[in-house]
Amino acid sequence: MKKLKEAARSSGLLFLFVFLAWPALVTAMDNGECFDCHSDETLTRENNEHGHINNLLFVDEGRFNRSVHHISGLFCVDCHTDIEALDYDNEVPHARQLAPVQCGNCHSESEAAFAESAHMQIRSKGISMTCYACHDYHYVSYLAGASVAEREDNFCAKCHNPHRSHDWLPKKEEHFAFVECTVCHAPEVPRHIHLKFFDLMTNKYYQGDEILEILGISYEQFMPLLDTDKNGILSRQEFEALELMLRQKNVHAIFHVELVAEMDPAAHQVTAEGAERNCEKCHTPESPYFNAVTIALPNKDGSVDHHRVERAVLESYSLRHFYIYAGTRVKLLDLIGIVLLGGAACGVLGHLTIRVLTIRLRRNKDK
Amino acid sequence: MSEKMIYIHPAPVRVWHWIHAAGIVALVITGFQIRYAEMLGIMPLRDAITLHNYVGFMVIIDYFIWLGYYLGTGKIKIYFPDLRTFVPNAIRQAKYYGFGIFKGDPNPHVMTPDNKFNALQQKAYVGLMFMLLPAQMISGVFLWRVKGYADYVHLLGGIKIIDTIHVILFFFFASFLIAHCYLATLGHTPLAHFKAMFTGYEEHH
Repeated sequence: MKKLKEAARSSGLLFLFVFLAWPALVTAMDNGECFDCHSDETLTRENNEHGHINNLLFVDEGRFNRSVHHISGLFCVDCHTDIEALDYDNEVPHARQLAPVQCGNCHSESEAAFAESAHMQIRSKGISMTCYACHDYHYVSYLAGASVAEREDNFCAKCHNPHRSHDWLPKKEEHFAFVECTVCHAPEVPRHIHLKFFDLMTNKYYQGDEILEILGISYEQFMPLLDTDKNGILSRQEFEALELMLRQKNVHAIFHVELVAEMDPAAHQVTAEGAERNCEKCHTPESPYFNAVTIALPNKDGSVDHHRVERAVLESYSLRHFYIYAGTRVKLLDLIGIVLLGGAACGVLGHLTIRVLTIRLRRNKDK
Repeated sequence: MSEKMIYIHPAPVRVWHWIHAAGIVALVITGFQIRYAEMLGIMPLRDAITLHNYVGFMVIIDYFIWLGYYLGTGKIKIYFPDLRTFVPNAIRQAKYYGFGIFKGDPNPHVMTPDNKFNALQQKAYVGLMFMLLPAQMISGVFLWRVKGYADYVHLLGGIKIIDTIHVILFFFFASFLIAHCYLATLGHTPLAHFKAMFTGYEEHH
């Protein structure tokens, strides 16, 4: 009986212990507990037995909190799935060597696209590319609002110097400045033209909230204010009305135009040999690359609100800092060309005809 | 009819002229290919751009050779009309091209080495050589390196403004080429002026 009582007491205590300890286990999965150690800027790990290589284990909590994964509600242990509990009796409360994070568990389509990419093929040369080689470990940020320069600097240009491998490409400086690498190097990725407000005086992009503040409206009011015909796309006239509104507010921003890849898994299927080399694919008024044209209103966290714009805007003088040979030519100039060439041809033909018809007159005079 | 051969076009002018002519023809052809890449299949766009750039620089160098020659020899003045006689001469020349030429009237302008252009030619060439061609060359150089000359491009209003200038002038030069070739047939025989630009000698009748 006594044993039974003891057993019951033990069970009760065990139950009480588990009940009380459970929140602690839950807390172990909360980021705060991870940052108790990993916010220490000197936290390192000796990576070999001689202690010559130190890995910094510091994670900047502020930057992490602004990352896509934190904003999306993920915790450290959602990626570091091999940490099930923290044991503070040990010097390191979890395994010293954690398993590599499997990004493909969530990003399976991107993983599949990456498997077909040139970055996967280089494994045969002994070079191993990981997701975080490009995307960083803990600070994965929104890219949709990033400019071509930001996209290149933070990704491709980390390893590649495009100037060394594009001698065949006319106007490569201009291409590198206005066209994202993956537009050509990931042929399957959807693309769009995005227009961002740019101040030439300060050499800075306007944030979406800055433009909205100038206009005195909220994000939700942007399209209702401008899209007067309510078709969901800003026409050329509506676009010009936006320009006028900004000018009336004494804002002389230009629209910076870039051709970028959409945030699509296919962007990971990067190829070198299969890259688009056919200039006429882009340099034609019918190019599918210009089907989607959007105004990008970037948010401070790097996300972006896109608002559709009529393609004809590309040919207008509203975008006077943007021109693609053949692709976005101004139709009015073609008309002027027809008048000039037609005028010259008609003048010549008319004069020649009269000359021919009056040959007899001149012959008679000569006689 | 008596014929007299007068040496009008010195060798440097003839060499310059034909290099310039070949350059302008090549620029017009490649220009059309660049602007209407989807309609024309003369050559791939990439080759058209590359060729356009090289020939463009050739024409720019050729222009400065022309300028140096005419400034150095003092012959530059043949491009500038005498303002006292310009208007009546221009009217007389226009009447000739519009009426007199059909009736067999003599050309009111007699070509000499020091006065080889008639009033209408002077007017056309002074605008062409000192305004339109330099504007075309400058806009072409800006379009060649949009990034490199970004400050100037922005200052002038943007790449589309530069392109507009370049394209309108392109159409003008293409039209001029048609008119120029036709007007060259208005000598005493259709090929007389063409021959003169090879030999240097114009026949006076």
